[in-house]
Amino acid sequence: MTDSYILLPIAIPFVAGIVVLLIGQQIKRVKEAIALLATAATLGLTITLFKENISYSIPWTGFGIDLALRLYHFSAFILVAAAAFSFLFVLYSCSFMRDKPRLNQFYSYMLITLAMTNGAVLADNLVLMLFFWEGLMLTLFGMIAIGREGAFKTAIKAFVIVGISDLCLMMGIGLAGHLAGTMTISKINLPVVDSLGALAFILMMMGAISKAGSVPFHTWIPDAAVDAPLPFMAFLPASLEKLLGIYLLARISLDMFKLHAGSWISILLMTIGAITILIAVMMALVQKDYKRLLSYHAVSQVGYMILGIGTCLPIGIVGGLFHMINHALYKSCLFLTGGAVEKQTGTTDLAKLGGIGIKMPVTFTCFVIAAASISGVPPFNGFYSKELIYDAALVRGNIFYLAAILGTFLTAASFLKLGHAAFLGKISDANKKVREVGPSMFVPMIIIASVCVIFGVWNYLPLNNLIKPILGEERLAGHEFGPNMMLITVTVIVLVGALLHHLFAVKVNGGGGYKASDHIRHAPFLEGIYTKAEKRWFDPYDIAMLIVRGASRFGWWIDRTIDWLYEDFAVRVATGLSSVIKLAHTGSYAMYVVWSLIGVLFVVIMLMKSF
Amino acid sequence: MLSQFLLLPLLAIILLNLPMRSITQKLAVWVGVLISLWQIIVVIQLPMGRSGPDVMGKYFTLGLSCDNLTLVLLMAIGIVTLTTILVGRQTITGEKQLFGFMNLVFVAMIGMNGTVMLTDLFSLYIFIEVTAIASFILIAFQRDTNALEGAFKYIILSATATVMMLLSISIMLLVVGDTSFAAAGSAVQQSQGNPLVMLAIGLFICGLLIKGGVVPFHGWLPAAYSAAPAAASVLLAGIATKTSGIYALIRLTTSVFANNESVNHILLLAGAISILVGAFAAIGQSDFKKMLAYSSISQVGYIILALGCGTNLAIIGAVFHLFNHSIFKSLLFVNSAAVEKQSGTTDMNKLGGLGSKMPITNATSLIAFLSTAGVPPLAGFWSKLIIVIALWQNGLHTYATIAVLASVLTLAYLLMMQRKVFFGKLANGLSGVKEAGWGITLSATILAAITVGVGVLFPWMFNSVLMPISSFLK
Repeated sequence: MTDSYILLPIAIPFVAGIVVLLIGQQIKRVKEAIALLATAATLGLTITLFKENISYSIPWTGFGIDLALRLYHFSAFILVAAAAFSFLFVLYSCSFMRDKPRLNQFYSYMLITLAMTNGAVLADNLVLMLFFWEGLMLTLFGMIAIGREGAFKTAIKAFVIVGISDLCLMMGIGLAGHLAGTMTISKINLPVVDSLGALAFILMMMGAISKAGSVPFHTWIPDAAVDAPLPFMAFLPASLEKLLGIYLLARISLDMFKLHAGSWISILLMTIGAITILIAVMMALVQKDYKRLLSYHAVSQVGYMILGIGTCLPIGIVGGLFHMINHALYKSCLFLTGGAVEKQTGTTDLAKLGGIGIKMPVTFTCFVIAAASISGVPPFNGFYSKELIYDAALVRGNIFYLAAILGTFLTAASFLKLGHAAFLGKISDANKKVREVGPSMFVPMIIIASVCVIFGVWNYLPLNNLIKPILGEERLAGHEFGPNMMLITVTVIVLVGALLHHLFAVKVNGGGGYKASDHIRHAPFLEGIYTKAEKRWFDPYDIAMLIVRGASRFGWWIDRTIDWLYEDFAVRVATGLSSVIKLAHTGSYAMYVVWSLIGVLFVVIMLMKSF
Repeated sequence: MLSQFLLLPLLAIILLNLPMRSITQKLAVWVGVLISLWQIIVVIQLPMGRSGPDVMGKYFTLGLSCDNLTLVLLMAIGIVTLTTILVGRQTITGEKQLFGFMNLVFVAMIGMNGTVMLTDLFSLYIFIEVTAIASFILIAFQRDTNALEGAFKYIILSATATVMMLLSISIMLLVVGDTSFAAAGSAVQQSQGNPLVMLAIGLFICGLLIKGGVVPFHGWLPAAYSAAPAAASVLLAGIATKTSGIYALIRLTTSVFANNESVNHILLLAGAISILVGAFAAIGQSDFKKMLAYSSISQVGYIILALGCGTNLAIIGAVFHLFNHSIFKSLLFVNSAAVEKQSGTTDMNKLGGLGSKMPITNATSLIAFLSTAGVPPLAGFWSKLIIVIALWQNGLHTYATIAVLASVLTLAYLLMMQRKVFFGKLANGLSGVKEAGWGITLSATILAAITVGVGVLFPWMFNSVLMPISSFLK
């Protein structure tokens, strides 16, 4: 197998994406077939390449910027995961998206996104990586924009936020390349001691965690959940973007920069992680829409990964990376169940749902597995990755552990609410005739749910084969990954507490699962904050837009002033001068002769003044 | 060979005024067309850079000479005279009137051609006067109050100029004993600081400034240009005053006064004042031709300003702008003639929307106005650019800034003109307007083509035509 095969994971989906884009709206099924084939081919290819170690480089733009790609265990792992998810989502979309307009764009953007993701993951040159990274921004914009009516505004919002964070990444890349003297990722090894190095790290970190959807770069995700086509949510914010963002975060904290436990950057990362967990889960708890609720969890869970990697302890990093893949699994599974519900009932509003668990048993089962995973219920996969993160957080500081465990409590509470409100309770009349979804939709759900179980029960499989090699032997030497009985006990107690809380809340608030979080929503102190949050007082994007609007008004005012100077003032001055000159031209020849003579006098005096 | 430029028009006057008026009256226009075309062709064939006395010159004892500056002027005279004749054929009614007009044009042609070819002060003065006399009558051609008033103003101020020039020449004769440029030039060089010589120089310059219509010597100009019949305004504004005033000034500053600092200072000041006063006055005009007249004052200011700068590049810019100005200002006056002929008025407040009725006039006027305002790539842009660059290089930043800013004013008043006359809604009573006859549209088209062509071909022109112009500079 020659090294240039490494180009195929980028080329296949990209070419397929272009082809799909060119296929007209009328031709049915061909688009799906091409998309399925391309993703399947990519998946097969990445699996065959899995154990390979390839460094491939051809000259590109010069100036030390080569088309350098590097396949090794970490990137190979992300490649396989991305290809597998893409394949399953295309399969799911075949049924879900069937009657939607602009299908060619949807599949095309999906395939190109996969190509760009593969490129960014494989790139061994910072500029090349940035090239693919920015390509993702375009397809992100496109995929949101083809959603329902009004999605364009959300697309703009996502574009602006992602654009700003990509700008940070770009500056960070420039700075890192400058400091290291090379743009080749595998050769960069920077200590974070001086302020410039720290700045480079923080800028690149901002690009990475905002791609993963961390606070405060997350605000477009809940909006997109409502506006964009649902497979998009499963595809990008739930899985591929997490993979990419956390991949980059791990790369910069493990390989490119030497980060030490105890450095302030580590604390910063952990703080961002903890804040992300709590803020997003608090918002998730009070959501009344299936997809919005999930989208806030997609943000919240990023906090665990950032917290885990931020601890700079091997066990925490392993936990963060494990959580990354686990999250991609259960969150995309959750979104797929949301899509199934939306497809069959026509709504994701929790007020209109309820009791459909019996009608859609497969969807319900998958939901339960995924929800248990995300809540960290043993023996599902989320439980094990979270345990590792708890372990590391506890070592670094009780406060981080507390944040993480509180997050788990609230996560469990909100999924109890969601499951109760959507699948249990009384069924409404409109949903009486709801049936289970077709195989192209439930097969991806079942596959992902089963992987959740497998990665939970046999968690040493992914840990030993996928995650640990990323850190390498020497880093892991002397670290035990055995279960910490004390932490497990605390987790179980918290989960039972969450269940009790839910039962209590249902009883207090009445109205079944739908109102299970109302007492928190209307709690004395939180009431005001929630109200303001729902009015978007805390959305950095909206705040920035307010500032921009103010600046724009100011600019407009300046512009008008300048305009007045030209349009009005200058004209007045000119016409004023003009009328003065006109007055002087009386038409009297005597006057003109006098002028001329004065002129002569002046000239003669000027010429003879030296005498 | 140079004397043909004087002899052919003279011969035409004599032959056409022989008996058999009924035949010659019809022929006059075509003879004029032929002579001016012949002048253009001969000038094109004359090699650039040739200089020296004329063979025939010895029979007249007139020291005719031809250098590149003369060639440029002869070319401009040929083009503008041709235009004038074509426009006159369309606008002047009555065969007798046209015949008289043609005779005056021939006289003016002799005057102008002589002015640009002669090499001594006194002959220069004589031919300037020949041009002026033709101009007086041309202005008064229509014999109404306005025309007579305009002509009268011109005569009075011209007479002032005459007195000053004659006085200057007599002083020169007294001091130097010779009036040829070369002798006068060397005398001025040697007698640095001789107050009499300086007085002579000052008086001569003032005389020429009156002839050229530079502020504050310009009082006659707006009245004369606007009162003259349309065809005569083309001749006057396009070339007559430029030859007798501005060309002579260029010639004298380069070969007689030779970069006298005080002279340069005066020229810079007069140029800048002219640019500004002319432009501001133009903004306030509502009469088409008056606006063009003030615009002429403003544009002449650029030439004077460049002369005052005195570097070779500046002189090239001045000559180039002189040529361009005679083309685009003639074009604007041709357009005004077309509008005046077809609508019967030159009051811009009564005009409007003629663009749809007179597409060629509209388009050529647009080209001329953009060229005047100095919009690339038209000819006017390049000459103004050269002037501004020369000023800047010479450290005259204030004057350069004035020159650039005044372009905005130029744009303003000409845009106003274009909008009031050609754009917008058709004014009342103009629905029957058509293009004026072929003579006017043809000459407008030719002039517009020259403006565009010179502008577009500028990069080639700069090295092959413009730089050689400077060969007359020492």
